[in-house]
Amino acid sequence: MVSSLVLFLLNTFIAYVAASSDYYERLLIRPLPQSSVLTSFNFRSNESADAFEHQNFRYFPRSLGQILQHAGTKELHLRFALGRWDAESWGQRPWNGAREGGTGVELWAWVEAQSEEEAFARWLTLTNALSGLFCASLNFIDATKTIRPVMTFQPEGYHANSSNLHLLHGTLPHEVVCTENLTPFLKLLPCKGKAGISSLLNGHKLFDASWQTMSIDVRPMCGPGGGDCTLEMEQTVDMVLDIDRSKRPRDNPIPRPLPIEEIECDTSKGYNGGDTCYPLDKSEEPAWNLTEIFGQPLKGACPLTEQSGEGSMTVCINTPPERILQVNTTGQYEEAKLASDTVRCYKLPTGADFDLVLPQQRMTTGLVLTGPQLFAARSINGHGQERGSVQAVIKNPSSHSVEFVYLESLPWFMKPYLHTLRARVDNSLENPVKETYYRPAVDRKRGTHLELRMIIPPASTLTLTYDFDKAILRYTEYPPDANRGFDVAPAVIRLINPGSSDNKGIYLRTTSLLLPLPTPDFSMPYNVIILTSTVMALGFGNIFNLLVRRFVGIDEVQAGGAGGLQGVLRGKIDSLKALFGRG
Amino acid sequence: MASEPQKALLFAAAAAVRLLLFTAFPSLPSLLAGRVEVSTPVTSFKRLQEGLFLYTRNVSPYDGGVYHQAPLLLPLFSLLPNPSYSPFATNVFYTMVDLLSAYALMQIANSGQATVTRLFTSSRKELRWSSVAIAAGFLFNPFTVATCIARSTSALTNLFILTAMAKASQGATITFVLSMAMASYLAMHPVLLFPPLLILCYDVQSTKMKASPHTFRFIATHSRRLIIALGALLYLSKLLTGSWDFLGATYGVRLLLPDLTPNVGLWWYFFTEMFDSFREFFLGVFWLHVASYMPGLTIRLRKQPLFVATTLTGIFAIFTPYPSIADAALYLSLVPVFRHLFPLMRYTFLASSSILYTSFLGPAFYHLWIYAGSGNANFFYAITLVWSLGLSVIVGDSLYAALRDELDVERPELRGKEVKRI
Repeated sequence: MVSSLVLFLLNTFIAYVAASSDYYERLLIRPLPQSSVLTSFNFRSNESADAFEHQNFRYFPRSLGQILQHAGTKELHLRFALGRWDAESWGQRPWNGAREGGTGVELWAWVEAQSEEEAFARWLTLTNALSGLFCASLNFIDATKTIRPVMTFQPEGYHANSSNLHLLHGTLPHEVVCTENLTPFLKLLPCKGKAGISSLLNGHKLFDASWQTMSIDVRPMCGPGGGDCTLEMEQTVDMVLDIDRSKRPRDNPIPRPLPIEEIECDTSKGYNGGDTCYPLDKSEEPAWNLTEIFGQPLKGACPLTEQSGEGSMTVCINTPPERILQVNTTGQYEEAKLASDTVRCYKLPTGADFDLVLPQQRMTTGLVLTGPQLFAARSINGHGQERGSVQAVIKNPSSHSVEFVYLESLPWFMKPYLHTLRARVDNSLENPVKETYYRPAVDRKRGTHLELRMIIPPASTLTLTYDFDKAILRYTEYPPDANRGFDVAPAVIRLINPGSSDNKGIYLRTTSLLLPLPTPDFSMPYNVIILTSTVMALGFGNIFNLLVRRFVGIDEVQAGGAGGLQGVLRGKIDSLKALFGRG
Repeated sequence: MASEPQKALLFAAAAAVRLLLFTAFPSLPSLLAGRVEVSTPVTSFKRLQEGLFLYTRNVSPYDGGVYHQAPLLLPLFSLLPNPSYSPFATNVFYTMVDLLSAYALMQIANSGQATVTRLFTSSRKELRWSSVAIAAGFLFNPFTVATCIARSTSALTNLFILTAMAKASQGATITFVLSMAMASYLAMHPVLLFPPLLILCYDVQSTKMKASPHTFRFIATHSRRLIIALGALLYLSKLLTGSWDFLGATYGVRLLLPDLTPNVGLWWYFFTEMFDSFREFFLGVFWLHVASYMPGLTIRLRKQPLFVATTLTGIFAIFTPYPSIADAALYLSLVPVFRHLFPLMRYTFLASSSILYTSFLGPAFYHLWIYAGSGNANFFYAITLVWSLGLSVIVGDSLYAALRDELDVERPELRGKEVKRI
């Protein structure tokens, strides 16, 4: 449990430091099992509330600040995420999941407004402005993708000065996060990715990670008693890089099998020979350095960070003390060891490249990863494009019961049946659902919003299921890749932990779901209109033909008398016959 | 007249078949309730359960996109025990609904209004089936049984339509107006049956009292009564749900078709594929089309109002936005009341074989589209086209037969001869 202690200490001391300085940044590196490495970038800039009101921006980015002022937004949380956090092998999430988003883009904000309508209008202003700022499709967060959570999210900042705050939440699970979102993200930083730890952020590596999430959080912070307020903006980038994958050179990115001479073979296998080999698990920690896995060097310290003290130690690595670390730089740097030497922090040199080199090494000790408090997985059951059911499996490995809120935000074309909702715990008969908030979807107007407060007993598994129908859409409502399916936003789980002093909360998110819908034939609107109209015309014509006409005996009308094509033809033939007969 | 033991035997057998299917195959009700041919968004039992679930938890079921059925069904079904745990009461309820419908159908057949009305007496009036046979045709029709097992609320609509027809053919004006109001309240389009059935009621009353009531006064009184009854039902619904929101969620959905779930009708695929700018126009055209049959048929077949009402139920089964096999079952059970027209019908083989063909191929093609993935939406769409065509052939052919039957009375010299329409 050493490492958990370490992380906890580190987080609290970060919070302490941040309150006292205007700009702060830190990179925390943690090697994970299976030759992965977690890198957490954290940037904070503060602006006093007074200066912010007067549009006097120093560290706080002006572009974002003006958007927040215009949209009356008091607290903002924006997330861009890709991939899946593998809790089974990587343990607890960074920041306890509080700086993490569901796949795609997730945005929630507390907006000050007199009424719900005004709040929604300001929310639309906010999403449209952020859409332009971050080059993301945030403007597609309309009424069908917006919900107003009641239990899942709590404000992180100090809001005693504001009244009438409205929480709005929107997700875009289909959004593909990529470099065009990273560039504006870096522009918001005072050093803009030119110096400091942000100089490591390279789109080619960041979006190639096994899991990555970028977040922006703006919240007002006040001293005790509500005075001395500041507006804090925190930006984080967390990613899990696969070392082998990241080390591949850019000009030769395709992995190729190693020549057999370079593979360590398991010679105990019966089939081991000159051309067959069962590769041995590498027991050694791989060799890597920062420049290699990020594809570019760390260009020295950002001059705006503090020059001394804890705030100046901007790069930290969390490894067992026996792990060999070599620093490769031409400038002056300082090293500090914390938490019984499991964390080593460095003060970066100014104006000179800095690199951490970790050689290949056989380890005798390792850090114990803290397991998460809950595991959650969600999937769609059933087959066919007509209906299905959602199953969420939530596992509590701990020895105490855990209370949590489960939030689902479903698109309107997925129609859940709440009367089929069943929550079962494998070793107890008690209903784990304590409270339900449900707002059903309305076709084309809003999506489903479901929040459940549940308690899961110790060492047990909770299974939540409900049925849903899949709607068939108008053909213009399908995206161009209609048969791929539609994305359903991840479920958000917040642990209700009364003992926690941290107001950020503990969150986890499931993966997004892919929902295949029945599709019409897109190529035949004209054919359908014509065929349906033909059937209707046949029915209508047949019936009204009978209604408006009169019956007479067949011998009462002269053959070919009253015109008609047949009559005309017969008349012509008769006249021709007469002509030839005479000739 | 049917003998009492025969009747009792028929009803007991029909009830036994239904209850046996309910109990012997416990998964059959939910399987059928999920079939698009049986349950539409406006009649599905699963959606009713969802509405009921929300209603009993004080959430407005109309503030959502799932429940589109009439508000009065909610307190009715909340009296029954929860069908997920104890389905027996619901099963008995639906069985009773079917038996009552069959009873109403027997009353229609017994009234003899199909062959002999005030102004018209068919020359083939001896040709008729007993009311027990007609009721058996309804009760053992697979479409009716499937509707009952699926617990679709169109069974209730059918009950009120049949009761309204039965009461009109008996001249019982109050019960006629009340059941008419209930049917219109549940499904909206049955209100189109009111004019022909009012004529029927007028004719029957005239025959009974040997003197015609004042025509305009009769029409005005009964229209007013219908409006009052409908208004009372709607107001009661408003009291029950607390707002008028249910109007948009029930009748608005039928009018504007926001839910394009496939069904056996012609609307869903047409409006799936329709260009957005023409959607409103075609919605108007389609509804006008449905309504246009009523005046035409009522005027032309003034002498046979029961036949007009029957034909209109056939039109509903083809041309309304959310038809199901329940609507077809209602029409197909009413057609045997007009047994005397069968010799004059020309395309019985074509029509019955196309109905049979689509009954078997429809579910198969739907499976190919939705589950197997080896077909696309056009497969099922093609079957709905053939189904509608088959039903419209029956409607058209029976209409031809009715007109020909009238002609035989007007001009007996043409009987058996070939005729021509001019």
